[in-house]
This record gives sequence, C-alpha cells and structure tokens, in this order.
Amino acid sequence: MVIRRIVAALLLMAAAVAARAEDLDITEALKALLDNALEVKISARIFPADAEKEPWTAASTRLTIPGRAVKVRLEGDNVQIYLICTPYVQESGEVLLLSQGQVWFTEPPEKEAKYFSTFYSVPVAYGEKVLYFPLGVSDAAAKEQGYFNIELEIVIVPYQKEEPQ
Amino acid sequence: MCPDREILSAWLDGEIDTPWDREIEDHVGSCADCRDRLERLEAVRRTLLEAPVPDWRPAMERVRSSLVARGLARVPAAPVWRRHVSLPLPAAAAAAVLIILLAGALAVSVVRSTFGMVRITRQGASGTEIRIAAPVSDLETLLRSLEGGNGTLDEVIVLPKDVRLVPVGEPFMGTETEISRRKPW
Repeated sequence: MVIRRIVAALLLMAAAVAARAEDLDITEALKALLDNALEVKISARIFPADAEKEPWTAASTRLTIPGRAVKVRLEGDNVQIYLICTPYVQESGEVLLLSQGQVWFTEPPEKEAKYFSTFYSVPVAYGEKVLYFPLGVSDAAAKEQGYFNIELEIVIVPYQKEEPQ
Repeated sequence: MCPDREILSAWLDGEIDTPWDREIEDHVGSCADCRDRLERLEAVRRTLLEAPVPDWRPAMERVRSSLVARGLARVPAAPVWRRHVSLPLPAAAAAAVLIILLAGALAVSVVRSTFGMVRITRQGASGTEIRIAAPVSDLETLLRSLEGGNGTLDEVIVLPKDVRLVPVGEPFMGTETEISRRKPW
C-alpha cells in the first residue's frame, strides 16, 4: 500500500517535471526564433524631375525570420507596385535576398494596363542598401519630360530585441 | 406418429422451418393428444413470462459468505476511493507538503505559459513604438503576431496623388554600390 502511494507521488513529480521541461523547450525555441529574427526596412522615394524639390518618402519596417516573406504594396493613381522580399541567411552569415517585383500601370489616354514581373536574387550584407526601380532607372530624357522617378530601398538588419527590464 | 415434446416446443416458438411446420400444424389439428400437450406447454410459457424476475443477489451473497467462511474464496476488494487510508502523522504531513509544492509548481508553470509574453519593441515607420506580445506557449501565435505587426500581412504604402509615374525603362534591382554606377542623379 505504501509503495503504491510512493509510486503515485513519483509519477506526479515526473509529470510536473515533464510539464516544466516542455515549457523550457518552448521558451528556448522562442529565444532561438528571436535570435534569428530580421528587420526588413523598406523605404519608398519619389524623386521629382526638378532636383531642387524634396523627394517624397515613405518607410516601413517589418519583422520577419529567414525564409518568411515580407510583402509591401505601393498604390498610386495609375500604378500598383507589389514587392515580395524573402531574406535567407547563408552559412557564411551573408543574406541572400530573394525578391519578386510586380508592377501594374496604365498610361493615359489609352488606359491600357501593362504588367511587369521580375525576380531578383541579391546577396547582401547586413545593413547594405538594395535599391529597386520598379519603373526603370530614369535617364536625362525622361527627366526633361517631367517624369517622376520612384525607387525602393531595402535594408536588412538583425533584429535587436529589447532586453527585459 | 406424434412429434416429440422438443419438436412441439420448437414449433410453438416458431423455430420449425417450412414445410415441416405445416405438417406439424396439420397433425396438431387432427390429434387431440398433441393439442393437449401444446396447451400445457403454452401454459408453462405464460407462467414463466408473467412471473417476476427473482432477485438472486441475497442467495449469491449467502453462497459467497459460506465460501469465504470455509476459506474457499476471498472477500472482494473495495474500490480504491473507498479504502481506508491510515498514515503516520509525519508521513501524512510530508505528503501534504509535497502535494502542495507540486500543485504550486504546476500552477506557476500554467500561469507562465498562459500569461508569459514575449515583448518585442521596435521603431515603426512613423517613429512610434510598436509592441508585439504573444504567449510563449504558442509559437504559431508568435509567428502570426510577427506577421501582423502592423495589422495586416501586406504593408500598403499609398503614393502621392500629384505625381506622374510612368515607366522609363525595365525594372531593376541591385545593391547601392552596383546601382550608383548607373544612376543618372
């Protein structure tokens, strides 16, 4: 009888230890996840043809983990730009940025929709700037016609988590 | 020849197949002796059906007690929850302390997994602080929180209205160093 109760107590203790161990596993997994997290900073800039005017800017910072895509959509009157960035951390410590850019635009007066889809694979270092020109790189002739130039800047840095206070 | 009693009983119970059942039926119709046997069988069946089911438990208990008294059987064990437990006081106290400690540890573990949150603080696009909190017990919830840090999976940036955006070439992507060689401005 006594042995049976001792066994029951031991089983209870084992269950408690198992529950605690599972909790530790999850915490460790979360810590590993956050240690590998990346911040993807995406800035959009529109440069007017007149160099004296200030460029229009917008920025977005997304948190992700290697292999998980960050998606940004830019919506304009006649243009829609869709950028999907997936960072991968290589064994060397460098980041391989896989990006897909999709651009829809209409040119008045025809209002005919056009579509570009491009795929890029860019090895980058942490903090290095990657530039994306969804509508192409403006040349002098385009500037003379008063066209605006749009560029997106992508920067990937390791996520710095806040230390617990 | 008259059928025997077993066959008559089976016929009464509907257990005789065709065509034998018809032959028995014809015979019973013409044989007073068999009809008389059938009526007795029917009377026995009615009596059995109408009689209350006897309660055999007292008799079984008496038999069991008798067997136990003679050492031929053992008293059945009582269920665990009805057993009487007698422990020395120090052992009982130690067991109580142990149970309380275990319960406390389990409760702390549950509370930690339910309310323990991972807090992520970063600077958002507008310079405001964004906090993401997710229970540490659920990795998938954390991932969803990471994805939905700004409310949606896709970040939407609305471009200004007064700009004229037209393609001036093919889309291009590269590092700043690579691009700087070909940027016209």
